[in-house]
Amino acid sequence: MTTASTVKAADERVRSIGLVRRLLLKPELGAVIGAVVIFVFFSLLSEVFRSPSGVANWLDPAATIGIMAVPVALLMIGGHFDLSAGVAIGTAGITTTILTTQYNMVLWVAMAVSLLVCLGIGFLNGYLVVRTGLPSFIITLSTFLGLQGLNVGVTKLITDQVQVQGLADEPFYDGAHAVFAGTISIGGQDFQIAILWWILITALGSWVLLRTRFGNWVFAIGGDLGASRNVGVPAARTTITLFMAVSAAAWFVGNTQAIRLGSIQAVAGFGQELIFIVAAVIGGCLLTGGFGSVIGASVGALIFGMTSQGIVYAGWDSDWFKFFLGAMLLLAVLANRFVRRYAEESGK
Amino acid sequence: MTATPMLELRGVRKTFGNVISLDGVSTSVRAGEVTCVLGDNGAGKSTLIKILSGVHRPDAGELLLDGAPVTFAGPRDALDAGIATVYQDLAMIPLMAIWRNFFLGREPTKGRGPFRRFDSRTARAVAREQLLRMGIDIRDPDQPVGTLSGGERQSVAIARAVYFGARLLILDEPTSALGVKQAGMVLKHIVQARDRGLGVVFITHNPHHAYPVGDRFLLLKRGRSLGDHAKADITREEMTALMAGGAELEELAHELERDPASPAGRVAADLTEEASALGIHPDGR
Amino acid sequence: MTADKKFRKRALIALALAFPLVLTSCTADDEPAASAPAAASGGGGDGYGYTFAAVTHGAAGDAFWSVVKSGVEKAAADQGVQVEYQSDGDPQKQAQLIDAAVNQKVDGLIVSMANPDALKASVQKAVAAGIPVITINSGQDRSAEFGAMAHVGQDEQVAGEAAGQRLRQAGVSKLLCVIHEAGNVGLEQRCSAAKAGLGATAENLQVDNNNLTGAQSTIKAKLQQDSSIDGVLTLGGQMAGVAANAIKESGSTARLATFDLNSDVAKLVQDGSVAFAVDQQPYTQGYLPVVMLTLYRSNLNTIGGGQPVLTGPSFVTKENAAQILQLADKGTR
Repeated sequence: MTTASTVKAADERVRSIGLVRRLLLKPELGAVIGAVVIFVFFSLLSEVFRSPSGVANWLDPAATIGIMAVPVALLMIGGHFDLSAGVAIGTAGITTTILTTQYNMVLWVAMAVSLLVCLGIGFLNGYLVVRTGLPSFIITLSTFLGLQGLNVGVTKLITDQVQVQGLADEPFYDGAHAVFAGTISIGGQDFQIAILWWILITALGSWVLLRTRFGNWVFAIGGDLGASRNVGVPAARTTITLFMAVSAAAWFVGNTQAIRLGSIQAVAGFGQELIFIVAAVIGGCLLTGGFGSVIGASVGALIFGMTSQGIVYAGWDSDWFKFFLGAMLLLAVLANRFVRRYAEESGK
Repeated sequence: MTATPMLELRGVRKTFGNVISLDGVSTSVRAGEVTCVLGDNGAGKSTLIKILSGVHRPDAGELLLDGAPVTFAGPRDALDAGIATVYQDLAMIPLMAIWRNFFLGREPTKGRGPFRRFDSRTARAVAREQLLRMGIDIRDPDQPVGTLSGGERQSVAIARAVYFGARLLILDEPTSALGVKQAGMVLKHIVQARDRGLGVVFITHNPHHAYPVGDRFLLLKRGRSLGDHAKADITREEMTALMAGGAELEELAHELERDPASPAGRVAADLTEEASALGIHPDGR
Repeated sequence: MTADKKFRKRALIALALAFPLVLTSCTADDEPAASAPAAASGGGGDGYGYTFAAVTHGAAGDAFWSVVKSGVEKAAADQGVQVEYQSDGDPQKQAQLIDAAVNQKVDGLIVSMANPDALKASVQKAVAAGIPVITINSGQDRSAEFGAMAHVGQDEQVAGEAAGQRLRQAGVSKLLCVIHEAGNVGLEQRCSAAKAGLGATAENLQVDNNNLTGAQSTIKAKLQQDSSIDGVLTLGGQMAGVAANAIKESGSTARLATFDLNSDVAKLVQDGSVAFAVDQQPYTQGYLPVVMLTLYRSNLNTIGGGQPVLTGPSFVTKENAAQILQLADKGTR
C-alpha cells in the first residue's frame, strides 16, 4: 500500500492535506477558540472569575446546559429538533416530586417512573416524526405546548399551587442528593457533581457518535435520509432513539433540579430548549443536520456558562446578558460558516 | 464467453396503467462482460434498471439468473443474488467522510456487548485499499465525500458495491453529468470491474461512452428493443445511426437543409451532425 | 360559549346560590356611592348572577398568580358570581383578552396592568362600554387616569420603602436587588423604592426565573464578585430559596429579605435564612375586586374613595411564620 501511494503521489489529483485544513474541518474548532477567548477575556476582567470558586461557579450552569446539549446536538446532527426538551425537564422534576411528596412513593421508584414518562415522551416525539414525516419542529412544538399545559395543569390539580415542594423531607433524599446534587471537593473547592456527569455524558455521546455504528447512522440520516435508507440504515429506529436520548437527559436534569432545590416549579425548563440548541449550534452543529460535534456542543454550553456568570463577575449590568449571547451566537455561526467554506473550497 | 449468462432477460414487458414502458426486451449479461443499455430519455432504461434490481417485476417475459428463472420479491432479493445497483444519486452522504460512506449500513464492528463499536481503523484501511485497487489514491479517507469530484464519487460507489460482494453491477448513467476526463476515469473503472470477472450493466445515452467498453449492446427506443447486438455484429457508426433514429434523422436533415448555402441551413446541418455525434435524438425526446 | 348557554348557566348559578353574600372587613360601608348612573343594577335580583372577567399578566405557572386566582375563585363562589379568569404575560395578548371580555359584555372587569400603556386603549374601551373596571396588583398610577373604578394592590413605593427601612434596621449597607422578570415595571420600582428606603447603595441583578439553578449560580457569582454586599432582596417567593442557597454556598453573610410568600419562604423565615418576607397578600387581590364589583353592580357601592385599596405590605417574620406557613400550604397565602 505504501508503494502504491508513493507512486500515486505524482498524480495531480492527489493533494496534501495540511494540518490547518484538517483542523478546520473539525466542527468544534470555532467553539473551542471562542471558549478560550471568552475565558481569557473574563479572566482579565475579574480575579474571582479565574479563581477556583469562580470556576466552580460557572461550570455549574454550564453542566446543566451541557448535559442537555449533548443529546440535543446528536439529534440535530440526525436532522431533527426537539423543542420540548426544555419543558420535559419540568415534567421530569414534577413527576418525581409529585409522586414522592403527594403519593408517598419511594424517591428512587418515583425517579424510575419519571424516567419511563420521559422515555415515553421521547418515543412519542420520535414515533410521530417518523410516522408522519412532518418536520420535527412542528411535532415537538406541539409536544412543547402540550407538556407546558400539562406541567401547570397537573401541578395545580394535585397541589393547588404551581410548584411542588417538600422533596427535601422525604426519605432517601440524602442519597439521591449525593448522586445528583452533591459536591466533589478538589483542592478545597467544592464542585457540583453535575459537572462530573456532564463530562461523562459528553465523553459517552462523543464516543457513540464517532465510534459506533449508531453514530454513523446519525450522521447519515441527518445528511441524506433517502440515501441512508437506500443503503439499509434503520432510519426510524435511529431517529426514535435520538429523541429518547434527549428526553432521558431531560429526566436527568429535571431530577437534578428538583433534588437540588427540594422543590420544582411548574414552569421549570420552559424556554431552555432554545439555549440547548444555541449551545449545539455554537459547537458547530448545522441546523440542516448531518454535521456537528458532541464535544463542540459541550464547549458551547461552557461558553454559555462562562458568559452568563462572566458578565456578573465583570460587574456589568446583567440586563445586557441576552444581548451578549445574541452577539456571540451570531459570531459563532458566522465563524462556523467561514470555516466550513474555507475547508470546502480548499478541498475542491 | 459461451458460458450461461449470469442474468438474462427474455421478452420482458412492463406496463404502468395504459403506458407500455417496456415490451419484448431481451438481453443478457455474462461474467466478465459489459452489457450496455442505450437509449434516450423515455426509452425505458430506468424501468429496465428497476426490473434488474428487483424494484419492479415484469408483467410478461422472464428473468433468468444463472440460467434458472427467478423472481425478485424486492431489492433485497436482488442484492442477495449479488446484483448491486449504483443509482445516479449514488446513495452517498456528501457531508460524511469517505470511509463512513463506504461502510454506511454495513459497518464492521469489534468488541462485544455495550462495547461493540464501529471498527473505524479497519473501515479506513479497507476503504483506502479498495479505492487504491480502483486506482484512486485518497490520502485522507476522512475527507467528506462532498469534496470529491463527480468521477471520484462514482468510483467510490462502484468500489463499495464491488467490496460488498456484487457479481453484477448495474450502473445508472454513471458518466452523464461528467466532463470528458472524469467520464474517462469512470469508464476505466468499468473495465477494471469487468476484468475482475464481474458482470456489468452500463446504462447510458452516449454511444461514444458505450462502444469502447461494451461487449453487448441493447438499444432501446420508446420501450422497444431496436436490437440486442454483440460487439462483433455492430459498428459504432451503425449504432450511432440507430440511436439517432436513422431515417427520421435524415428526413430532418433534409428539411433543414433546403438551402445548404444559406447560413441558417449550414447551422442546421452542423447541429444535426453534432447531435448525431453526441447521440442526442434530434427531435428532442 | 354561546350567549344562550351562558344565560342558562347564569340562571342555574343564581338558583343554586341564594344570597350567599359574605362581606369581608375590607368592604367597609363608610363610602357610599355619590354618583348614580342610570344603568340598571339589579341584573340578578334573586342572587348575584353576574359574569365578571379577570385578565391578568401572570404567567400560567406563577405561584403568586395562582394564589390570586384562588382568591378570585373563592370570592366568586362566596358571592355567587361567575368570574372567567384568564392570563397572558404578553401585554398585547392581554389587551386582546380584555377586548374579548368587553365584546362578551361582561358585568365587570378585573385587570392587572404590568404594562399600562399597552392596555390603555382596551381598558378605556371597557370603561366606555359601561363596564366597571378594577385594576389589581400593578398599574396603580394609571388606574384612575384610564377610568378604572378602583385599584387593589400593594403600593410598590410604600412596600419597597418599608422593606428598605427594615433592611437598614437590620444593618444592611449595600443591597443586591434580584430581578427575575425582565421588563416588569413593578419589579424595577420595588428595587428603586427599597434603595430609597435603605438610604444606601443598591444594585440590581437580572436572573432567569425559568432556570433556577442558573439563577442560583448568578447570584452566587455576584456575591463572590462583590464581597461588600451585605443584603439581598428578592422580589418573588421562588427566588428567595434560590438566593438563600446562593448566600450559603458563597460563604457570604448577607441578610436576605424577599417580596412575596409561599410555604418555602415561610419555612426559610422560620429557620432564619430569610429575615422577613414582604407579603402583598395576593389572595386579597383576587378576592376583594370580585366583592367590590358585586357591591357596585348590586348596590352601586364604590370602595377606596379614589385611593388605592392597599393589600400590603404585611410583613412575615419569625414571630408569625408558623401560622402563615399552614395557610401557605393551602395555597391561600
